[in-house]
Amino acid sequence: MSRHVIDRAEEIPPGTRRVVDLDGRSIGVFNVEGTFYALRNRCPHHGAPLCEGPVSGTMLPSDPDEYRFSTAREHQIIRCPWHGYEFRLDDGRGLVKPETSRVKAYRVEVEAGDVVVYTR
Amino acid sequence: MSVSTAAAAAPDRATDVGVIDSDVHPNFEAGIRDLIPYMTDTWRQRMGFGQEGWETSFAASAFHLPLNYLHVNTAGAFRKDAAFEGKPPASDARHTARDLFDRHDISRGLLIAGQMFGIGAMPQAEVAATLASAYNEWMDERWLQVDDRYRGALIIAPQDPDLAVAEIERMAGRDAIAAIFMPLHEILWGEKHYHPIFEAAQRHELPVVTHPSGTESIFARAPKMAGTPTFYIEWHAGLAQIHYSNVLSMLCHGTFERFPGLKVVIAEGGFTWLAELMWKLDRDWQSLRDEVPWIKRPPSEYILDHVWCTTQPFVEPHKKEHVAQVLDMVCADRNLIFSSDYPHWDFDDPQRALAAIDPALRRRIMVEAPLEVYGDRIR
Ligand code: FES
Repeated sequence: MSRHVIDRAEEIPPGTRRVVDLDGRSIGVFNVEGTFYALRNRCPHHGAPLCEGPVSGTMLPSDPDEYRFSTAREHQIIRCPWHGYEFRLDDGRGLVKPETSRVKAYRVEVEAGDVVVYTR
Repeated sequence: MSVSTAAAAAPDRATDVGVIDSDVHPNFEAGIRDLIPYMTDTWRQRMGFGQEGWETSFAASAFHLPLNYLHVNTAGAFRKDAAFEGKPPASDARHTARDLFDRHDISRGLLIAGQMFGIGAMPQAEVAATLASAYNEWMDERWLQVDDRYRGALIIAPQDPDLAVAEIERMAGRDAIAAIFMPLHEILWGEKHYHPIFEAAQRHELPVVTHPSGTESIFARAPKMAGTPTFYIEWHAGLAQIHYSNVLSMLCHGTFERFPGLKVVIAEGGFTWLAELMWKLDRDWQSLRDEVPWIKRPPSEYILDHVWCTTQPFVEPHKKEHVAQVLDMVCADRNLIFSSDYPHWDFDDPQRALAAIDPALRRRIMVEAPLEVYGDRIR
C-alpha cells in the first residue's frame, strides 16, 4: 500500500478537483461538498481522460414520462467527456452495467489536514 | 438439392400443434363490397354502397380500401396458383385450408387483414372502425367457423383509440381470435395515442400484430417512409423503415415499462435490422439515458422480451453461412416466428425457405416460439 499526500485539504476546496500523477498513473482527486473521492483518470470505455468530465448528480430510473434528478451523495457521478458514460464517484462503477463497466476508485482520507490517497 | 417430404418441424408434444403460420391473408372476392352484408343500412348509405352499375367503381361515389394503387407489381402481387374456380387467391376458406394447411403441412394460420391493411390511412376514424367491425364479422363467419386451423387477428382502426378499444372488447372473447391487428398509421407507436389500445391488448393477453399497410407515403395520414418511392421494388425493399421507427419509438417512450405484458408482432417487416437497433440503442442508452430514465434495462432486453418479427420474406444472403450468423445476431431463438404470407407472390414454403437452418432453431421458430406468443388461443 503506498500513501500519497496530495495537498492540504483547504487547497482543494469543495467543487474543485486535482489531477495528479501517482506512481505513473493519472488520478483525479475530487472534493464534492466536503467529501473527497479519487478515481483513475482513464475511462474503461475508450480510454478518455475521465476525470476531466463534469461531476454532478444523476437522473434516477423513473416511471415513463417522469423525471427525478438526485444530487444525493450516493448519486454523485462523473460523466466521461467523450461519450458521456456515468460512473459513481464512490466506487467507480458505471451506472449502466455496474458489473462489467468500472473505473478504479482509490481510498482517500483527510489526515491531520492533509488529503491522502492510498494506491495499491 | 433434394426436397425433404418430412414435416418442416415436429409438432409440440403436449398440444400436438405443428407449424404455426403467423401471416395468412384472407381475400375478398369483390373488394370492400364483400363487407356490405356486415354493416347497417345507414353505413351502407354513408359509404356509397346504395348504388348499382357504373357508379360503383367511380371514385367519390363509393369508398375504396386505401391500398398501394400507385405502384405496380408486374410479377403479380398474388400467387396465381392460389386462385380457385375463377375466384381470387385465398378468397375461399375451404380451398385455402387445403392449399395452405394440407399441402404445406401447416397446423395453424393466423388470418391478417385481407385487403384491409391500409385503413389506418382513412381520414374519418368512424369509417375505418365500421369497416373493421364488418371485416371481423366477415372473417369470423367466412373463415374462422369453416376450419378450426384458422385463427384470427381482430382488426381495429388505429385513428381512434376509443373506437379501437370498443372493438377489442366486442371481439376478444370470440372463439379463434388470437391477436389484434393494428394497421399502421401516421403516429408512431410509442406515443400516448395508443395507450388505451395497448392497455386493452395487455388485459386480454392478445399480441398486437402489424404489417406493411400498402399505403406508406402514398396517402397523407399513412405511415411515412423517407419520401415516396418511385417503384414497387423500391417500396417493397424499404418497408422495414417504419417498423424500425415504431420499435424505436416504443422503446424510447418506455411502452414496455408501462405495459409489461404487451407483445408486439411485426409481420413481413424484415428482421435483420433488429441487430442494428439493439446494438445502437444499447450503446446510446449509456450516454443518453437521462433523457429517457424510464428505460431501466439495456433496451435490447425489452426487444427480446416483447417484440417478435416474422420470417417471410426470408433472407437470402450472398454467402450461405451468413444465414446462421445473422440469426444468431438477432437472437432468432427469442425474436423470430414463422410466416408464409400466403397467398402473396413472395410466399415462403415452410419446407424450403428455412431448410438451411439448424433443425432445433427451425422448430423454435415454427412451433415453440409462436406457441409462447399466442398462448392457449393458438392451441
Ligand atoms: S471513452 Fe469514456 S465514455 Fe467513451
